[in-house]
Amino acid sequence: MKTFIAGIAAGLIAATGAGADGHDSYPDRPVMLMVSYGAGGATDFQARIVTMTAGNEDALGMPIAIVNRPGAGGRVGWNWLATQAEADGYTLGAYNVPHFIAQSIEGGVSYSADDFEPIANWGADPAVFVVAADSEFDSMEDVIAFAEANPGGLTFSGAGLFVGHHIAALQLEKAAGVELAYIPNNSGGAGAMRAVIAGEVMGGVNNLSDAFRAQEAGTVKILGVFDTERSDFLPDVPTMQEQGYEIDDASVNYRGVMVPAGTPQPIIDRLAEIVPAMFENARVQSRMEAGGSPMEIMTRDEVQQMWSDRQETLEALLADL
Amino acid sequence: MTDLPRSQHVVASGIIAAVGLSVAWISWTQEPAAAFVFPRLIATVFAVLAVWTFLKALTGRTKVGAGLSGQAVRQLAPGLVVTLVYVFWAAQAIGFYTATALTVLILLVLYDPAPHGRAGTWAKRIAITAGFVAVMYGLFAGVLNVFTPREVFF
Amino acid sequence: MDFLFYMGDVFAPVSFALLLFGTVFGLILGATPGLSPTMTVALMIPFTFRLEPQQGLILLGAAYTSTVAGGAVSAILLKIPGAPANIATTLDGHAMAKNGEGARALQLSFLASAVGGVFGVMLLIFLTPVLAGWALAFGPSELFWLAILGVTVIGTLDSSSVVKGLLSGCIGLWLATIGFDDIMGAQRFIFHDAVAGGINVIPALIGLFAIPQVIAMFARGRTDPGAEVIAVRRHPIGSALRELLGRKAPLAIGTAIGSVIGLIPGVGGQIAGLVAYDQSKKFSRESSKFGTGHPEGIIAAESANNAMVGPSLVPLLTLSIPGSPTAAVLLGGLLIHGIFPGPQLFTNYPQVVWPFINSMLVGQVLMCMFGLLIAGLAAKVAKVPHGVMAAVVLGLAVFGSYSVQHSMGDVYVMATLGIGMYFLERFGFSAAPLVLGLILGPIAEANFIQGSMIANATVGVWNYFFTGWMNWVLIAIVAGSVGYSAWMEVRSRRYTSKEEMLA
Repeated sequence: MKTFIAGIAAGLIAATGAGADGHDSYPDRPVMLMVSYGAGGATDFQARIVTMTAGNEDALGMPIAIVNRPGAGGRVGWNWLATQAEADGYTLGAYNVPHFIAQSIEGGVSYSADDFEPIANWGADPAVFVVAADSEFDSMEDVIAFAEANPGGLTFSGAGLFVGHHIAALQLEKAAGVELAYIPNNSGGAGAMRAVIAGEVMGGVNNLSDAFRAQEAGTVKILGVFDTERSDFLPDVPTMQEQGYEIDDASVNYRGVMVPAGTPQPIIDRLAEIVPAMFENARVQSRMEAGGSPMEIMTRDEVQQMWSDRQETLEALLADL
Repeated sequence: MTDLPRSQHVVASGIIAAVGLSVAWISWTQEPAAAFVFPRLIATVFAVLAVWTFLKALTGRTKVGAGLSGQAVRQLAPGLVVTLVYVFWAAQAIGFYTATALTVLILLVLYDPAPHGRAGTWAKRIAITAGFVAVMYGLFAGVLNVFTPREVFF
Repeated sequence: MDFLFYMGDVFAPVSFALLLFGTVFGLILGATPGLSPTMTVALMIPFTFRLEPQQGLILLGAAYTSTVAGGAVSAILLKIPGAPANIATTLDGHAMAKNGEGARALQLSFLASAVGGVFGVMLLIFLTPVLAGWALAFGPSELFWLAILGVTVIGTLDSSSVVKGLLSGCIGLWLATIGFDDIMGAQRFIFHDAVAGGINVIPALIGLFAIPQVIAMFARGRTDPGAEVIAVRRHPIGSALRELLGRKAPLAIGTAIGSVIGLIPGVGGQIAGLVAYDQSKKFSRESSKFGTGHPEGIIAAESANNAMVGPSLVPLLTLSIPGSPTAAVLLGGLLIHGIFPGPQLFTNYPQVVWPFINSMLVGQVLMCMFGLLIAGLAAKVAKVPHGVMAAVVLGLAVFGSYSVQHSMGDVYVMATLGIGMYFLERFGFSAAPLVLGLILGPIAEANFIQGSMIANATVGVWNYFFTGWMNWVLIAIVAGSVGYSAWMEVRSRRYTSKEEMLA
């Protein structure tokens, strides 16, 4: 009898053990990727490309469906992911750093970097400073000279408050020691770019990929890159440091995949292994390149490092506000 | 205008006026003020119009809106209860497709005028329910990849 | 005449098959509640990964064209507007369907869509360079005044009492402020988790229009003697065509308004239909018939929302700026093939751009033919007993609002607003002004705040919002519109009640 009970106990332990570890069949249904920006935005567009091969046998073997939850610069979507999404491995989220970290430091949201577990990074899009093609400004020096003559009078657009563009704007103000009028746009990067081209504002901070396209179309001039080195897309445009402003890469917009904290560790490990390989797919790479979207694939460990670095830099930067 | 709609108008516009006034009060007291500039503007107009409507209802000068008859309320009540249970509990708790099937069937029983006693009536009701749920499943789960809450039965 | 040169490409077997597929699929998805044109086109993007650029864009162009028109089907038959563009269509369209004139309503809607749509695409073909400047002319101050103009429409839209119309509009404007505010990120009026992300327009639309009629069907009870006598009248296509040509005024007003405001980035598509409907009503000799199943209402609304399709792509194709969410998705469709829009687009990639534009032109015609084909059959929906109808519409409303963001909260919002709206309607309030407030609120607010920020840094608020001829013109129209509403209100005072007026 004792052996019988022990046998059952052993069986139960084995069964529950297998249950805790039993994510071998994951995923057995399609997976959702929440994007906290609207359909057609840069994050949404890139997320759709990098996940297009998810259904392949060498990737997840199940398709990833994109679900958009736009609003308030990403706050709506990330709030949902942190507080309401099921942490079962079937709900993934796209992250934008520094956006969500800066927002969590600023407050008024229910998430912080601890509420999410990174999986992998697919892209890095630096911010650039643009002016309309017919603008009188030809370099950052002209821009800053104007700002010094008119404190608080230089209007320039960006995608919102406490997103990469805003961080870049704050860094510029600090590095050049001037007061600028940053105008957050309610329709994201595209709206901010429109304001520059239409001459509603004198300049703007925007994504390198979008600015590159606009420059090709002949509607804007790009005056500087908010990164530590020049971009392959724009080898002729100097960085801010080269122009004498001490600005690092804190505003670079990193995009990648994360899951809500509490997702089972075996699933996180499995995703962390598969997802970066999925981004490496040649078809994904060629589509991203064709669209002018710079890729930067990082594994889970690298992303964790990057997140904690950003947390530190942004806390210091935003503390001065 | 009979007395019944008039008292109904008083209650309805009273509720709206209460909402309007509380929205106005919240807008004017909440911080940060910069984020409430626009709500304050709207809420003020909202409150003024709502109070005006309320006063008109009190004095019996409401011009439009026929109100609700007792018979209408009795007839809509079961359907409304089923709707509330479906939306606020069943869809999440027992799954979209299960809940939809049950709701459609119950609503058909409640509102389909065909006689209950005949087998044909029931065959028709079940066929409509099954057909509708199948179309919903094909469209939303099959074509559109919509993830609905887990089903209890599958 | 480049577009004629590339017309042949559209009729190549594979391209034409894709065009046909895009049109039919677009119509079906467009008619599905909750699926806006933007989402439909986004869903199509993965299909184009494997196609040649030219063929992929033909598919997207056809899908875009037909989803906009497809939304009219559920608006007319079920009173569920699939997207903001179709709100105005429900007002008269559903009334006609209930009178057994669903076939006529659908035929007129598809014909008016085709006329408006072809005109809009023609504008895109011939006037793109001229129109590009116009698309940039609307800055924050102009958009603010435009939104205010929309708000003034509220008082006269589908409501017999101007005060209650305005009050409905205020409720909508307030609902729009719930959630995080778009610029500051501050939380406002979040009294329940379901509204933490704000009120999404599409579930709100579904609730406000579909649920009140579901409850109204409940209110008719189990035995309804008058229910089954609706005779669905057949309606020959020829006479629909003659009727359309006989009602030139709403067709012209709708097409013109749709084309002009379709160009304005971010605003156009959402309000073109409602503004065209309102204007046609004001100019019509039969304005009292609007809202009771008057064909002119459908013609104006549907010609406007399809006329907007072509011009809405002008900023994208010439300046590389997507003017609407749908245009942004189409931009993605171009980018994955390495095609960058801009002034050189037409010289660098004529073999892609012209077939794309042609596909929208041919798509309009195909969509119209296909629509006319199904109109007679689809109109039979009116024969469905109200008990069955109530259950089906309720189910569709729940699935449709859930599918937008895969969110249970949206379903709660949909049902709460819908049930509230039923009771409000019993007391003389109406859904259309409320929805208009909900759509215009964020536009007015964001542009007001952006405008004041720019103004404070430069010329000052007064100069910014009140000078410049564009501002003056818009302010003058606002004043005119308010004056008209006031005059209508004073005039209607002669009657003590609407019931008496009708008696």
